[in-house]
Amino acid sequence: MTETMQLGDMLRRRGISRRALLKYASYMASLMALPPSVAGAMAEGLAKARRQAVIWLSFQECTGCTESLTRSFSPSLEELIFDFISLDYHHTLQAASGEAAEAARRQSMRENQSKYLVVVDGSVPTADGGVYSMIAGRTNMDVLAETVEHAAAVIAVGTCASFGGLPEADPNPTGAVPITKLVTGKPVINIPGCPPLPQAMAGTLTHFLSFGTLPELDALHRPRAFFGETIHDRCYRRSFYERGLFAKSFDDDGARQGWCLYELGCKGPVTYNACASLKWNGAVSFPIQSGHGCIGCSEPRFWDRGGLYKPLSAGTADVRKLIGIAAVAGVALGAGAAALARQRRASTSATEQ
Amino acid sequence: MEELTGTAAAAARFDVGSGVAEALLRQVARLLEALARDPGFADVIDLRSLPMHDADRASLRERLGNGEIDASFDLVGKTRITETACAGVWWVRHANSDDCAVLEQIVVARVPALLLAHPADIEGAARRLATELGAPTHRETIHD
Repeated sequence: MTETMQLGDMLRRRGISRRALLKYASYMASLMALPPSVAGAMAEGLAKARRQAVIWLSFQECTGCTESLTRSFSPSLEELIFDFISLDYHHTLQAASGEAAEAARRQSMRENQSKYLVVVDGSVPTADGGVYSMIAGRTNMDVLAETVEHAAAVIAVGTCASFGGLPEADPNPTGAVPITKLVTGKPVINIPGCPPLPQAMAGTLTHFLSFGTLPELDALHRPRAFFGETIHDRCYRRSFYERGLFAKSFDDDGARQGWCLYELGCKGPVTYNACASLKWNGAVSFPIQSGHGCIGCSEPRFWDRGGLYKPLSAGTADVRKLIGIAAVAGVALGAGAAALARQRRASTSATEQ
Repeated sequence: MEELTGTAAAAARFDVGSGVAEALLRQVARLLEALARDPGFADVIDLRSLPMHDADRASLRERLGNGEIDASFDLVGKTRITETACAGVWWVRHANSDDCAVLEQIVVARVPALLLAHPADIEGAARRLATELGAPTHRETIHD
């Protein structure tokens, strides 16, 4: 719905002072690796903005992205974003249902034409005319096309919407595709992760609200602020990696001393995300800190990259793309190449049948 | 200093402590000099993104010491602003509802921006107070 009051005034009525807004902006600026001096400008921008209309479309998804952002165990600064936006359509969070919900979506599109943001979680199936995911009697493809037509921008949250994720994993029976494959002519941001960090989602929305622009993106349309570095770059166990101190199996002596998890399949070196610095569940921990290697969940096709527990040096060939093995430190690849050849033959014979 | 456990202890054993605390202290000294020359100067060092062990952070905090001011306010978690033993150097710590630090900064300024009352808030308060005082329950004059 249209909101004519500025955010600054609206928040003050709810007991959130401009000082509090500055705290929020300082937090967001820090998250997005913006210079701390930007916090003031960000807070001013937010205060002058009007509530941003957001339509959240959910397709082939598990609702994990929403769970990550809304956190059910304790309130977080990220959740303040719900005060700054007008979430006009969201399957899990909206009060309306059925025809009333669809009507709310269309009304928001009408009243906020060319100004509303579309957030999408879940991939979109395209096989057999897209029948494998239908909502309110219409295919996802249909609803997506209709909704993005007059949007300002599209934000694909989660690895499913960004890169296809689990539905797109081998053998991809529903013909699932990422949002970028279906949306042209509109700016699309990918915020991958399975699920994505809540800070990444809230931070990107805040950036758009305060500055009216999308943050800097990399080649895969991911905001550089959160996806500019690998897990490996910020891992607190990096010093053990550098010294060649690796855990050989879960819970062995090395593991108990917090040694590097490379040999247990950690995909940290090839995974771009901010988990190592921002951590999860209110900065409590993240997979590596809990003793489990990174599974690379914010990268394309991570489900098919050779297995969660095989070390990177053993090869992470995507059997469908048949690309080369990622060799690290010149490890001999004889066994890996033979395995790949076997996989190639198996894959070829499967497609020929 | 309290005994280190787990990975921090392992790190200490293998001598992987960084010189980050020392380097930061030098940076703070440089900024403080700038502040001494120009009272309007202000700068912030964000500690979140730096590769610091908890031991590093604790040592830095210890070396900076405690000053006279200790302020806090709550917005979805407590923010604590403490003046260090060095006048003009402040330690700002935002915590979430579980008291885990989500943001930690060293601010070098006469006073951190967060402590200042915002002009828009002042305006609102002035209006409210004027309205409140402008509607007395009974007429007051010097003859009462």
